[in-house]
Amino acid sequence: MIDDFLNSHYIKVLPDLIPGMGWTLGLTLAGLFLGFILGAIVGLGRLSRFKIISGFCSFYVEVVRGTPMLAQILFIYAGLTRDVIGFNIDPITTSIIAIAINAAAYIAEIVRGAVYSIEKGQHEAGRALGLSEKQTMRYIVWPQAFKRMIPPLGNQFVISLKDTSLLSVIAVNELLYAGKQYYNVTYTPFQTLIMVCLLYLCMTIPASLYLRRLERKLDV
Amino acid sequence: MITVNDLHKHFGSLEVLKGIDAKVEEKEVVCVIGPSGSGKSTFLRCLNLLEDVTSGEITIDGDVVTDPKVDINAVRSQVGMVFQHFNLFPHKTVLENITLGPIKVKGESEQEANENGRSLLEKVGLSDKADMYPDSLSGGQKQRVAIARSLAMNPKVMLFDEPTSALDPELVGDVLEVMKDLAREGMTMVVVTHEMGFAREVGHRVLFMDEGVIMEEGNPEQIFENPQDPRTQSFLSKIL
Ligand SMILES: Nc1ncnc2c1ncn2[C@@H]1O[C@H](COP(=O)(O)OP(=O)(O)OP(=O)(O)O)[C@@H](O)[C@H]1O
Ligand SMILES: [Mg+2]
Repeated sequence: MIDDFLNSHYIKVLPDLIPGMGWTLGLTLAGLFLGFILGAIVGLGRLSRFKIISGFCSFYVEVVRGTPMLAQILFIYAGLTRDVIGFNIDPITTSIIAIAINAAAYIAEIVRGAVYSIEKGQHEAGRALGLSEKQTMRYIVWPQAFKRMIPPLGNQFVISLKDTSLLSVIAVNELLYAGKQYYNVTYTPFQTLIMVCLLYLCMTIPASLYLRRLERKLDV
Repeated sequence: MITVNDLHKHFGSLEVLKGIDAKVEEKEVVCVIGPSGSGKSTFLRCLNLLEDVTSGEITIDGDVVTDPKVDINAVRSQVGMVFQHFNLFPHKTVLENITLGPIKVKGESEQEANENGRSLLEKVGLSDKADMYPDSLSGGQKQRVAIARSLAMNPKVMLFDEPTSALDPELVGDVLEVMKDLAREGMTMVVVTHEMGFAREVGHRVLFMDEGVIMEEGNPEQIFENPQDPRTQSFLSKIL
């Protein structure tokens, strides 16, 4: 009985899926790191009093949020070829850029919302003390806003992690692609995909639980 | 100490201040009273340039602060402001609230600022709260911390915008007590308030504002016992 299970495809697929899981996690983290930086810039840009800057940042957010991520991935990978930009972008770089660009649009909204949610009086109290605009943002508004960003950022982590499965179209060896490669040979999509989904849940459920605990601790 | 000359302030097409002339002497406590919407807060906020003035001139301690070339941050660091809703920084401890300005604006060392901060906390009767966060304080305690935070900058003038009107009645007294101490020590103060008792007892002069102008001014006895302007009379009869 146990021997049967150990010899089944539920187990035999794992050595192929574990590296895929590593790629999924690695690409998500790398993409989100860049996405956060870009998102923070775009989000603060949307709050700018210069119409050109805030307009451009809004445009960016609308375009990214209004188009499918799959199209964005293909656009970067297949659209921006040697003919267009002078060189080809490899699948891994494409993956990181695609996740970053996509997540940045959502993170921009998170950042903007969080900064916006800090009471005006906080800003005024800082300025009234004689702090410059920059100091007020840095010491007063930003730290409070950052705390409010953590829950939605954690949420974005889960979303971006699942979105990496779309990268299978450009043959990046992330979790879903690794599974597809396996069942194409063994013809066991049922067992394979169950294991693929289980491994996604192994990443997303702990992330959600940790997030809920953090929310309680930060009291946001 | 403060001279205001023909101050006008518009918000878009709405004219909120319609030519204010006022003078505040050194060590003087001036109370500003008047109905809601008359422009009291706006007037006060113009004094430390939290609102940019539409026209007119404000001089503080000899400096024309409405001059566009003036260093706004330097002006504000010399004018303390206490808000109706305290506006303490919730992510900082009570002591950090007080020392932030001195450290970042005046370049004081942390040690110097901490010592100073603790003695200010003692002055407002809250030395045991230094390491607490604002959320754990009562409204009256918060407002006293806010006053200490302003005093830490060693301002030449203190502006108060209805400092007690967000407080439960039983907490008002402690805050007024701190303000009275300040007045006795010779701090120059401009206080927007509905506390007529405070204005009578501590105020040297009372300004009655209505619809963006100063309708009447005088010492507290004059204004409260013998108001001349019919609008002052009707305002006082409603609130006294
Ligand atoms: N930022 C703003 N934009 C537009 N209008 C404003 C702004 N701030 C104040 N006003 C308007 O200016 C007028 C005067 O407001 P202000 O807050 O100075 O009155 P106030 O005398 O302090 O009243 P209260 O006793 O209610 O505090 C009001 O009509 C108000 O709606
Ligand atoms: Mg007001």
